[in-house]
Amino acid sequence: MLDVSHVRKDFGSVRAVRDVSFHIETGSTFGLLGPNGAGKTTTMRMILGIYAPDAGTVTWNGTAVSPATRRRTFGYLPEERGLYGKMKVREQIEYFGRLHGLVDPQVRDRSDRWIERLGLGDYINRPCAELSKGNQQKVQVACAAVHDPQLLILDEPFSGLDPVNAGILLASLAELKNAGTTLVLSSHQMWQLEELCDAFCIITAGQNRASGTLEQLRAAWPTRVLHVEPATAAARAVLAGVSGATFLEDEQAALHCEVPADAPLPQILKSLVAAGDVTHFEAIEPSLQDIYIETISRA
Amino acid sequence: MPEFITVFSAEIVRRIKSRSFMIGLIVGAVGIIVMLRLPTYMDSFANQSYRVVLGGDASLIAQARPLLAKDYNISGSEPGLQHPTGADIDAHGRAAAVIVFSRAPRGLGVTVYARDPGSVNETKMRRDLLPLHLALATNLTQSQVRTLVRMPISVSPLESKFGSAEQADAARGIAYVLLFLLYLLIVLNSQLIMTSVAEEKTSRIAELLVASVSPSALLAGKIAASAVLAIVQMALWVAVGFAVGAQSMSGASGGSTQSIAGAGSVPVSDVVGFAVFFLIGYLQMAVLFAAIGSLINRTEDIGSIGGPFFIPVIAALLIATTALAVPDAPLVIVTSFIPLIAPFVMFSRIVVSSVPLWQIALSLAINLAAIYAFAVLGGKIYRIGMLLYGRPPKISQLIRALRA
Repeated sequence: MLDVSHVRKDFGSVRAVRDVSFHIETGSTFGLLGPNGAGKTTTMRMILGIYAPDAGTVTWNGTAVSPATRRRTFGYLPEERGLYGKMKVREQIEYFGRLHGLVDPQVRDRSDRWIERLGLGDYINRPCAELSKGNQQKVQVACAAVHDPQLLILDEPFSGLDPVNAGILLASLAELKNAGTTLVLSSHQMWQLEELCDAFCIITAGQNRASGTLEQLRAAWPTRVLHVEPATAAARAVLAGVSGATFLEDEQAALHCEVPADAPLPQILKSLVAAGDVTHFEAIEPSLQDIYIETISRA
Repeated sequence: MPEFITVFSAEIVRRIKSRSFMIGLIVGAVGIIVMLRLPTYMDSFANQSYRVVLGGDASLIAQARPLLAKDYNISGSEPGLQHPTGADIDAHGRAAAVIVFSRAPRGLGVTVYARDPGSVNETKMRRDLLPLHLALATNLTQSQVRTLVRMPISVSPLESKFGSAEQADAARGIAYVLLFLLYLLIVLNSQLIMTSVAEEKTSRIAELLVASVSPSALLAGKIAASAVLAIVQMALWVAVGFAVGAQSMSGASGGSTQSIAGAGSVPVSDVVGFAVFFLIGYLQMAVLFAAIGSLINRTEDIGSIGGPFFIPVIAALLIATTALAVPDAPLVIVTSFIPLIAPFVMFSRIVVSSVPLWQIALSLAINLAAIYAFAVLGGKIYRIGMLLYGRPPKISQLIRALRA
């Protein structure tokens, strides 16, 4: 269980992180979201002990973790990443395994497992500089995760990956999740996070803006969009009568209307049915992307 | 500790496999051979290239020829020639001068007709011809004159480290070579550290590394690996030096070569001093250069940013070579305590003079403290610099970041 409590970090006169708190259950997958410069990377570096927070605490299973334990227990794929270009793929993964405390023959077994998992078998004896960007990124993931960390932090793990490689990485992360690894992900590809994560925290300007599971974030969302077919004048009149309703873009076949989240949906449906034929009635939940954009625009 | 060993062994393997290490090793060895051979070669070349024609009195030519033979390449003689022309100077191949001998009222008369009058070394010529001149002036035989001019001069050491002038000369020759070796090893290896750190920064592997290993273990592993390889380099170069020196000693009698070849008699204290001051100088420079390397964002900036930091080392080398001649000069004594400079200057002083023990101890204490200070400061800069991208930080920004 990772607990980040009111952490703050200043660099001279620049306050990179003002006040960020969140709590991640062991074995869950957590999405840390925010625009560029929001303080996500600094927060991740504080979790990893690369930076010491100026205020607040970071605990793992209730206790502060020593740097050495962090390196053995945590894994990190930074957004700014590279490889030793002349080092061969297997050597590179094994080197990082050793840095994380693995010894022979464990390091060889774990490296082989990651090589197989990420489909790097054809490249093990090739210098990393000769690989495509996507394959280099897979090697970087293997380097970050070769020691099977309890907590794996991945900053923009999908950037630069083609759909096939993104699929391979998603499958690997799902495998880690099933094995009980706690994952922290930061990405601008919301649909991937929505698919993977159990809970989220949105930060801007170094502060928490929203956090919780997708259901909790949706519950706090102030409106819902009603999708009604067919788009008849009677249906439009019923929806116009709902307090706080706003019509969105017009479609010939359907009506889209934003209503307050607490609007009485069964009554609205009953009124629509009474007014004429209704072939489709749906209250659309906001997507993670909607919530994210709304949250950062409000901040 | 395991982290340190992992970084250390990976660095050793990576450096050994690198082309630059092998090229440096070979070029260094060739450089040593050239440096040891060059003085002898240049001496002989200079002697051989100064071709002269002897003219004038035939009997004087016959007596002067053996006296001049060791310093001049005598291409021929023209007995009876008094006023040579351009044709005479080239009569026996292209010569530099025609030396015309005559009897003077008080001994030997010598007139040199040279293409370049500035090239005539009158002192050397006078020394070579002195026995003949005195023999003519005094009516003694040349062998009697030689006996007379060999006035016995006895040199006894007083407050000196050396038992004889030959020993002192040999020590200076060895110290000169060792100083350059010290300079090469410190500069080359410190620069390699800087390049290696800058490459990790520019290849963006730095952040992946600092999350995997403590920055201090990473830095220590790099520096230690480089030190071990530097010692291997040094051992090879010294072995080459001994081999070439020994060969020169058996085959040549040139002064400078002989003094270098006398490296077999290097006192143990000098060897220990060399090792200690190498380690001190290397550690100071390596930590500083690692810190500088961590602030570099483009490999092409290595030269322009790192270059100015070599100035103290170049100054140190100049002062240290001066110290070989005047080890007790005030500037030499003062600089033998100053970090970055002391490793060269104090080593020089130790080799050629009897430095008071308290001065050695004080210099060591100051420089060891400096290593600690550099390690703390350099380690902090390294830790921050490795994660800083964009334009290199200003000094004020760096100070703020160090305080954070």
